[in-house]
Amino acid sequence: MDALDKLGISWQLLLSQIINFGLLMVILQQLLYKPVLNMIEQRKQRIAEGLEQADKASNAAAEAEAEKQGILEEARREAQEVRAQATRDAERIAQDVRGRADQEAQEIRMKAQADAEAQTAAVMADARKQIADLAIAATEQILGRELANRDEQERFVADYLAQQNGSGS
Amino acid sequence: MNLLRAFLSNSRLRNATIGIIVLLVMSVVPFFKAPPPHVELAAEALLEDGPKWFTNGLLTTLLVDLIIILMAVFAVSRMKEVPGAWQNIVEMMVEGMWNLTQSIAGHGSANSRKFFPWVITIFIFVLVSNYIGLLPGFGSIGIYHSGAESHAQAELGNQLAMTGAEGVAVAAAAEEGKPVLVPLFRSPSADLNMTLALALISVFMTQFFGVQALGMRYFTKYFKNPFKDGMGAVVGFFELIAEISKIISFSFRLFGNIFAGEVVLLVMAFLVTFLLPSIFYGLELFIGFIQALVFMLLTLAFFTMATVSHDDHH
Repeated sequence: MDALDKLGISWQLLLSQIINFGLLMVILQQLLYKPVLNMIEQRKQRIAEGLEQADKASNAAAEAEAEKQGILEEARREAQEVRAQATRDAERIAQDVRGRADQEAQEIRMKAQADAEAQTAAVMADARKQIADLAIAATEQILGRELANRDEQERFVADYLAQQNGSGS
Repeated sequence: MNLLRAFLSNSRLRNATIGIIVLLVMSVVPFFKAPPPHVELAAEALLEDGPKWFTNGLLTTLLVDLIIILMAVFAVSRMKEVPGAWQNIVEMMVEGMWNLTQSIAGHGSANSRKFFPWVITIFIFVLVSNYIGLLPGFGSIGIYHSGAESHAQAELGNQLAMTGAEGVAVAAAAEEGKPVLVPLFRSPSADLNMTLALALISVFMTQFFGVQALGMRYFTKYFKNPFKDGMGAVVGFFELIAEISKIISFSFRLFGNIFAGEVVLLVMAFLVTFLLPSIFYGLELFIGFIQALVFMLLTLAFFTMATVSHDDHH
């Protein structure tokens, strides 16, 4: 016991150290280890959740991207169709318009021709009348007097002209 | 000549060299000379007429408890999902110890959860005890004991003048009427009561966990029927001796390392007051950590080994 005494060992101090350690362990268990390990566990779960959510989000984003591509593809196809349709329609319309224009032009031409013919005929009739008048006037001058029976004379010239015209043409 | 000029033009190198030389010269000046180390093996009673159990070792143990609990409270109060700096450090340490425990006692095993509070408390307690003894003022601030019971504090904390004396020296000093300084604080690791207490706890809990895991079968490790298994009985006897000697090895390894470290620091301070102790300070920091880790890891290893059945070989 003397040796132990020299080393400063006494059973009271030994016991106090043992109790001290036990108390410290219990206190720290409640105060430090449990909360800290819980917190670490909690954080681990949070991180796992976060990662999972991020995964989900990226999956959703990929899906959305695929959907967008699909929609774009669809839209492109539709646009292609619409364009083709429009081209066909336009061609048809152009053909129609051209046809109608041709027809109208034809009509106009025919009408113009008819007009010209009518005009020519009118002019000819007019000319014939004037020639007849001139002829009468000339004959009057040559004869030096006015024909008595004017109506008869006119009829006469007309008959003549008609005769000339008939034989001339 | 060129070398000298180059040396003088490098201001940092020059200042450092001058500083070293000045400190070394100061170390020789008697005014700065540290007193010769008086080494006291046992923790001393603080009050001359007070109870014998109220030692500086005990007081420092309580201080260590307080520091540990305060650090824990600071880390855990207002605990947040996103930790602050201090909470982060404490969490890192606890998690590191938890992983270490699991790596030895089995991942996620019931043993890990059972052993963890014991071994981490050993680690923290021993680590803080080891480091607290390195603080300036430990060994240099104290109470003078003499017939006249003069109270005074020693100045020059950085000298770490550990005083007090061995039993004989105390008696001699008391006879001369010279006051003897009893340090107010003493690292608990340098008090055999603490290291022995931890050793007893470690070894006792080893047996406890062994019995808990294996029942009375655990004791067949030590005691075998010598008529059936003569060799086994001899081995078992040695096992018993080894188990008891663990108490001594545990307690004296820690005590020896820390106590000797403090003595080394004192001796170095006595030889060369400045600079030389700094080098050994670094060494002591390292040793303090290693000893805490060794105590913890050995305890953990013994706990784990005790829970494994030894009948498998037969």
